[in-house]
Amino acid sequence: MAENTFDAIVIGSGMSGGWAAKEFTGKGLKTLVLERGRDVKHLKDYPTTNMMPWEFEHRGQIPVAIKDANPVISRCYAFKEDAMHFFVKDTEHPYLQEKPFDWIRGYQVGGKSLMWARHTQRWSQYDFEAPKRDGYAVDWPIRYNDLSDWYSYVEKFAGISGNKDGLSQLPDGEFLPPHELNCVEEYFKNTITKKYKDRPVITARMAHLTEPQPIHIEQGRAQCQNRVICQRGCPFGGYFSSNASTLPWAAKTGNLTMITNAVVQQILYDEATDKATGVRVVDAITKESTDYLAPVIFVNAGAINTNLILLNSTSNRFPNGLGNDNGLLGKYVAFHNYRGRVFGKFNQLTDSNSVGRSPSGAYIPRFRNVFTKEADFLGGYASLFVAQRSLKMNTNGFGNKLKEQLSAKDLNDWSVSAMFMGETIPKASNQITLDNLNKDEWGMPLINFNVGYDDNDEKMLADFFAQMTEMFTTAGFTDIETKDSKQAPGLDIHEMGGVRMGSDPETSLLNKWNQLHQCKNVFVTDGACMTSTATQNPSLTYMALTARAVDYAVEELKNKNI
Amino acid sequence: MLIPSCMEDRSKASMLLKNISIDREEEMMMADLAEAIIPKTETPGAKDIGAHLFVLMMVDDCYKAADQQKFVAGLKAFEIATKEQFGKSFNKCSMEEREILLNDLEAKNTENADLPYFYSNTKGLVIQAYTTSKFYLSEVQVYKLVPGKFYGCVPLNKAS
Repeated sequence: MAENTFDAIVIGSGMSGGWAAKEFTGKGLKTLVLERGRDVKHLKDYPTTNMMPWEFEHRGQIPVAIKDANPVISRCYAFKEDAMHFFVKDTEHPYLQEKPFDWIRGYQVGGKSLMWARHTQRWSQYDFEAPKRDGYAVDWPIRYNDLSDWYSYVEKFAGISGNKDGLSQLPDGEFLPPHELNCVEEYFKNTITKKYKDRPVITARMAHLTEPQPIHIEQGRAQCQNRVICQRGCPFGGYFSSNASTLPWAAKTGNLTMITNAVVQQILYDEATDKATGVRVVDAITKESTDYLAPVIFVNAGAINTNLILLNSTSNRFPNGLGNDNGLLGKYVAFHNYRGRVFGKFNQLTDSNSVGRSPSGAYIPRFRNVFTKEADFLGGYASLFVAQRSLKMNTNGFGNKLKEQLSAKDLNDWSVSAMFMGETIPKASNQITLDNLNKDEWGMPLINFNVGYDDNDEKMLADFFAQMTEMFTTAGFTDIETKDSKQAPGLDIHEMGGVRMGSDPETSLLNKWNQLHQCKNVFVTDGACMTSTATQNPSLTYMALTARAVDYAVEELKNKNI
Repeated sequence: MLIPSCMEDRSKASMLLKNISIDREEEMMMADLAEAIIPKTETPGAKDIGAHLFVLMMVDDCYKAADQQKFVAGLKAFEIATKEQFGKSFNKCSMEEREILLNDLEAKNTENADLPYFYSNTKGLVIQAYTTSKFYLSEVQVYKLVPGKFYGCVPLNKAS
């Protein structure tokens, strides 16, 4: 059994699992990382990374046979010919949808950190206080001050670009230089900031190495070259991913053991000690079952799969899932509402354009219900604003004339768009359950989603359309159009909750250290732990929570408290 | 019975199509039609970059079954219309005759609903093949795999 015993087990190698691995191994613990998918090595396993557009058989498009067989993943914006190998196809891992939920997954080393959108903002004090102030979910057991140093810690290592904007609603971080905005993004920023005192527009903060520091060079990463084909994996390590950053760092310590194709079925619980002893793993290929043991277990399987593992970890003591005495496990699942877009045109500033490609854009931090509750809905929304000019392609006619037209360098006027990133309010009825009669080939019950929008989401979206239309009008944009994609929850790829944090074991699963109230040596630091969703892109917060929780767990191990 | 492979080849498209049925003659017609849309000049034209093969592959792989049928029906209608008008296939038509045919297609001068569909989709895909070709992205609108520094706001006269 000794070869199956470790100092720590981390389930999952994505955004938060990679951080847990780095922190544990860095503190000298022999750490086992269990990844349910295949290995993806930095540089080596990015097969499309240096391909030119004409080298893609269908120029990026997904063949209709694949789309028809995989309708859910085909709706994901990044599921294109260049990165389709990093996404789970519907047919490979089915699930049940009592209500439609587009569950986007990446089962491989690095998880979705390979293909993420790389926007990174800190939560503010207002975000942590909001549920208590406005009376929804439960009070967060932590405040901004508990996390601010950990934000700094992970930002320095990951490399986050941005401006120090001095906004209490979106605290500054340890920033590398910001990306440049283009002419119209800069214009919009200045116009809106002047007109609306409470609606700053800033440069988006992103996990890109705009100016690598020694700590990034030491990771083997180099400056972002603005290729903006990040989803293929970056040969420069220009953006943060587990593959380019935390995992190789963990491996260098000599303390990391990584097992791939390792599907965790359940966490093993020992009634005699009131602790988890390890995990039961099924090999994805051979279906062979193995137990691995460790005194501390971090569950970073990705929000929904973390719920699955805990719900499936039943015992005499916990017949409804590990740590689930209050029956709340799998409830209060929330996400971000990404249904809205506002489009417009701008026929000024047409004597200039940008040169090159930018992975960034302008960001409008949440301005609704921030400092006080003011709107007729709970929560708020942020928005990403981008402007661009495309080539004016005159495709009339044929022959030499058409060919000449296609060589013209004339540009269209500016197109602008703002994207809705709405908070959703966690509620008990937004729930995932397990169907124990329906198991996959690895013996795991299928997940059934019962997660939907509510009136609050509709009101908030309507407000976004109204406010953004007003802001676009103020900026002199024309042809303003609002569009509600009506997309199902999940396509935002910001699923959160189900194992929420809170101070009271009666109303939450995890305490302020992301530790299961009822099983102290099991920690959850991925999206499943989120008590509320705020409007920020969540990954940075998962990273900070993970580093903080590992630090605590290692102290508790040393002090023999767990 | 043995059929000599050279005989069989004559009736089949040069590429493996899974869903649509296109024979060799139709493939050659597509090549000439694509070339009429984007001709070779001092720079490569549609045939040089294999645009017609791209069109057929995209229709075969990326079009829904109903749209594939419309496309093929439009292609057949185009062959018939060509023969009715000039008494020969498109490949045999002179440049002037081809121009007359394409002008009619541009003007949607037909009562057949599938024909404009066939032409606009063929043209769209030929343009896509051309504007994403190695030639175009290396010499016309240059695509840089590694662009390096991004300049946010540059006067147009300096942007190139």
